[in-house]
Amino acid sequence: MSWLRPRRLWHPAPLKRHYEVVIIGGGIHGLATAYYLARTHGIRDVAVLESHYIGFGGSGRNTAIVRANQRTAENVRLYDEGLKLWAVLTDELDFNLMFFNCGTLNLAHSEAAMNGCRMLASTHNLLGVKSEVLDPQQCAEVIPGLDVSDRLAFPIHGGLFHPPGGIVRHDAVVWGLAKGASAHGVHIHQGCDVQGIDTRDGRVTGVRTSQGAIGCKRLGIMAGGYGSAVAAMLGIELPIHPLTIQAMVTHPLKPFLHHVFSSGAYHVYANQTLKGEIATGAHMDPQVNYTTDATAYYLKHQAEALAELMPALRGVRFMRIWSGLADMTPDMAPIMEGELGYEGLYLDAGWGYFGFKSGPVAGKYMAEYMSTGERPDILRAFQLKRFLENRYSGETASVMKYGHWD
Amino acid sequence: MTFRLTCPVCGKRDVYEFTFGGQERGPRPEQQGLSAEEHFRWTQFRLIPNEPQEEWWYHGQGCGVWFKTTRDPGTNREVE
Ligand SMILES: Cc1cc2nc3c(=O)[nH]c(=O)nc-3n(C[C@H](O)[C@H](O)[C@H](O)COP(=O)(O)OP(=O)(O)OC[C@H]3O[C@@H](n4cnc5c(N)ncnc54)[C@H](O)[C@@H]3O)c2cc1C
Ligand SMILES: [Zn+2]
Repeated sequence: MSWLRPRRLWHPAPLKRHYEVVIIGGGIHGLATAYYLARTHGIRDVAVLESHYIGFGGSGRNTAIVRANQRTAENVRLYDEGLKLWAVLTDELDFNLMFFNCGTLNLAHSEAAMNGCRMLASTHNLLGVKSEVLDPQQCAEVIPGLDVSDRLAFPIHGGLFHPPGGIVRHDAVVWGLAKGASAHGVHIHQGCDVQGIDTRDGRVTGVRTSQGAIGCKRLGIMAGGYGSAVAAMLGIELPIHPLTIQAMVTHPLKPFLHHVFSSGAYHVYANQTLKGEIATGAHMDPQVNYTTDATAYYLKHQAEALAELMPALRGVRFMRIWSGLADMTPDMAPIMEGELGYEGLYLDAGWGYFGFKSGPVAGKYMAEYMSTGERPDILRAFQLKRFLENRYSGETASVMKYGHWD
Repeated sequence: MTFRLTCPVCGKRDVYEFTFGGQERGPRPEQQGLSAEEHFRWTQFRLIPNEPQEEWWYHGQGCGVWFKTTRDPGTNREVE
């Protein structure tokens, strides 16, 4: 009757007092980095320290949208590789990540936005990524409930359809990566809050935690939206604003929305989950904070925006609302850095609301960076010093923006 | 949960009446002799530990005053 016994995906390990590598944060970035360190680079003496439980942060709170339709070549390349990893990982981790390859439609509500879509489509096509510009009628064919009449305050001029995008089950990614990392010898410690970072002679030597001091040779700060708070423990200033972003779901409806759609003008994106709920979000509170506060204010705004774009949703009820952190950088691109003034210290942060789709690929390259000490070429565009040299990535020139932040 | 801020003129009001103006960071560095790097560090880089900070707010949907208050980013609430 062995099949009756519950099987654990991964096993708790005893907390050692020293590891080769310590990673702060049990989200998909930290878990993926640990997984690739152990699996690809043979560094198995790795601990992932998580203050709450794995997936507590953005990794268990995001709206699970994956896509590669960024604005600039450096970013498109990274996200495209990330998108192709879901299938590889499903196989490698032997765990169903539930990639629903439904495609995404970004709506344009002005001629300027349509030009933005045309530029995006040509950038994508040049780089071998599928995207095409649709007119309003084609938008309505792709998403039948959409109001493409001129009744809207911001009528739909068209949009950018990106077939390779979709949604992936975020919990499954967290669990699958934990399973894979643990199977390769990584120790995952939940309820282990990092409260200080120790250094000596310009080197990282370990961390102080709620479960005592833990030594290490290399340290990865992969704490998602809390990254700026962790960096502050060493007095490291960052061009990052941690803000809450809110999301919510309606009660389940029969399947009618077969693609992800989003609208910058209405500050909304939505998709129908495999369970039938409409999952939607986009709103960010403007003040820096490390909470998970959700507010009725945005529930109302979201209802108004959705009901205007998709009149059939009027009267549908929201069942749950929640929030998590988005760590915003001035250029909407991440920071992956190993030159922070302390040998052995690495940072992977500033993913804003783009850090789910990129989790595994970021982990893959951070693992390479941390194991060799050499910055992989693909990470050149994501150095911290770009902000001191006034060389921002061009990501903000995109129509895929939802908040007042941009 | 939404929260309230204390406007020095209007008293406690809902946070959505206000605009966040960022951390209080002391006087702007002297422009004279300021390197480009120092300029970018001043405009973009921040230290945001998870502890109360003094910051600026603007009561845009109220009396229109700019004021300073101390708020804890870990709870969103004002502290004494
Ligand atoms: C509502 C919402 C919707 C989103 N939608 C999307 C989307 O559709 N697509 C997309 O690509 N991205 C989306 N994102 C962004 C994405 O969720 C994040 O960028 C991503 O999850 C970051 O992963 P991470 O592993 O870096 O961080 P996290 O998942 O946040 O993990 C960091 C972990 O570090 C832990 N930690 C923090 N401080 C400490 C400490 N001192 N000691 C120990 N542990 C610590 C935290 O508890 C947390 O579990 C969304 C985010 C939110 C909140
Ligand atoms: Zn006032």
